[in-house]
Amino acid sequence: MSAVPETPEVSTPSPATRARGMAPPVLSRGWPLLGHLQELRRRPIELFARVRRECGEIGEMNFAGNRVVLLSGEEAQEAFFRGSDEQLDQAAAYPFMSPIFGRGVLFDATPEQRKQGLRNQSLRDSFMRGHAEVIAAETRGMMQKLGEHGEIDLLDFFSELTIYTSSACLIGRGFRAELSPEYFRVFYELEKGTDAIAYVNPYLPLPAFRQRDRARRKLVELLTGVFARRARQPSEKRELFDVLLSLKQPDGSPRFTIDKVTGMFISMMFAGHHTTSGTAAWTLIELLRHPEFGARVVGELDSLYADGRDVSYQALREIPELEGAIKEALRLHPPLILLMRKVMHDFHYKHWTVPAGKLVAVSPAISNRLPECFPEPDRYDPDRYREGREEDTKLFAWIPFGAGRHRCVGAAFAMMQLKAIFSTLLREYTFELSQPPESYRNDHSKMVVQLAQPCRARYRRRAP
Amino acid sequence: MSRALPQASAVKIRADMDLCQGHAVCKEESPSVFDVDSASNKVVVKVARPDESLRAEIQRAVKFCPTRALRLEED
Repeated sequence: MSAVPETPEVSTPSPATRARGMAPPVLSRGWPLLGHLQELRRRPIELFARVRRECGEIGEMNFAGNRVVLLSGEEAQEAFFRGSDEQLDQAAAYPFMSPIFGRGVLFDATPEQRKQGLRNQSLRDSFMRGHAEVIAAETRGMMQKLGEHGEIDLLDFFSELTIYTSSACLIGRGFRAELSPEYFRVFYELEKGTDAIAYVNPYLPLPAFRQRDRARRKLVELLTGVFARRARQPSEKRELFDVLLSLKQPDGSPRFTIDKVTGMFISMMFAGHHTTSGTAAWTLIELLRHPEFGARVVGELDSLYADGRDVSYQALREIPELEGAIKEALRLHPPLILLMRKVMHDFHYKHWTVPAGKLVAVSPAISNRLPECFPEPDRYDPDRYREGREEDTKLFAWIPFGAGRHRCVGAAFAMMQLKAIFSTLLREYTFELSQPPESYRNDHSKMVVQLAQPCRARYRRRAP
Repeated sequence: MSRALPQASAVKIRADMDLCQGHAVCKEESPSVFDVDSASNKVVVKVARPDESLRAEIQRAVKFCPTRALRLEED
């Protein structure tokens, strides 16, 4: 399974000298100029499924002149994920992210700049227990606002909670203490600024982009206030952002501007925010759609915590029923539906060649439902992950976190976080869907997938 | 493997460097067998054929590797 993909030609000493193979088939029904961009903006998953149906494991789409070759099937996906950085560049593939992070941050920086950039230490295994404690406390903080019974919007609830948890764990608790609920709304506006029309130009004068830029300015403004307050109280424990802002150039001027630090923080929180928030919501929605699994998860949590043990202890250990439910929500509703790389040197797969300059892509939404890898792929079945089946060990098929060298570095943190949230929430409250079960769906009009509103659920405090 | 003499240990570890991200969980589980190189941020298998007595902790390292980059092979 994890062997290097075989290549049909025998005399191929290095990829650079390899003869060119065939061009991948091109997907039908592309518009003049825009190609398949409108289809991407309206029905992205149907578009990717159409590529697999019409072209097979490799097929070319056109996003306003950007040629994107979609690879699907376990073998083709493995070839994609095993590509080296020199051959397949991740950063160059996401033009819609540059205006969000800002100039010179992450996806707008050269590979060399990125290597020298910030290496976030907070995801190290040794920090996880402290993070679990923080997450349980933040969840309790949100629960205090709930009262005995009522109704929540799942997007709002989990977006707000995960803004607090990710800022506290990934940036610092002092920084988190400065945040009010308005941040999650601003952050949400920013996430909504990822319209695929950015493939034409990410700076077009469109409402979604104006909103995005306004949100970013608002964040810079909010953080400027936070930094000013921190500067007046130097006695507090110094955190990452105090250090970043105090660094000086040789000539005495600040090493990083507030705009740049804001961009760094956005980039540190972005990857962990909408992804975790959406997965929390879908885990709960699916458990409420399938009450027999919901009851199993609650029963498991009640018995695991019966001896009074702490969430910070248990969330780092196995909680099989809950983990199955989270993994199945991730499989059916992956937060990222298109992973892309820019081809820097001709990319060969079987008898095809994708020339340098084009993009290659894999879609977790397609991959996670391949019937040859996941029996009855559209069926919700958290038991897929139990011992003996363990369908998540198909490393290049079960890919909600991607795979290979760029696999989500926050995957372990995310699983722990979701386990800590539900360990806290489901022992205190019961939930039920307020809407018809089939009415909950994702909004795919932006590259950042979010739950479509309304997505409401009723809750009631459990009897002690 | 076509070795004439029987090996002291049947435990053999394979690390997939395309998958390893240097999370160092293996080092926590089995510090005498695994290390993480600080320059490359990748796993180093210090003992190619570890003693049979280490099997249980190596199995935990394999199981809990966040990227499932490790495999235990038998002869």
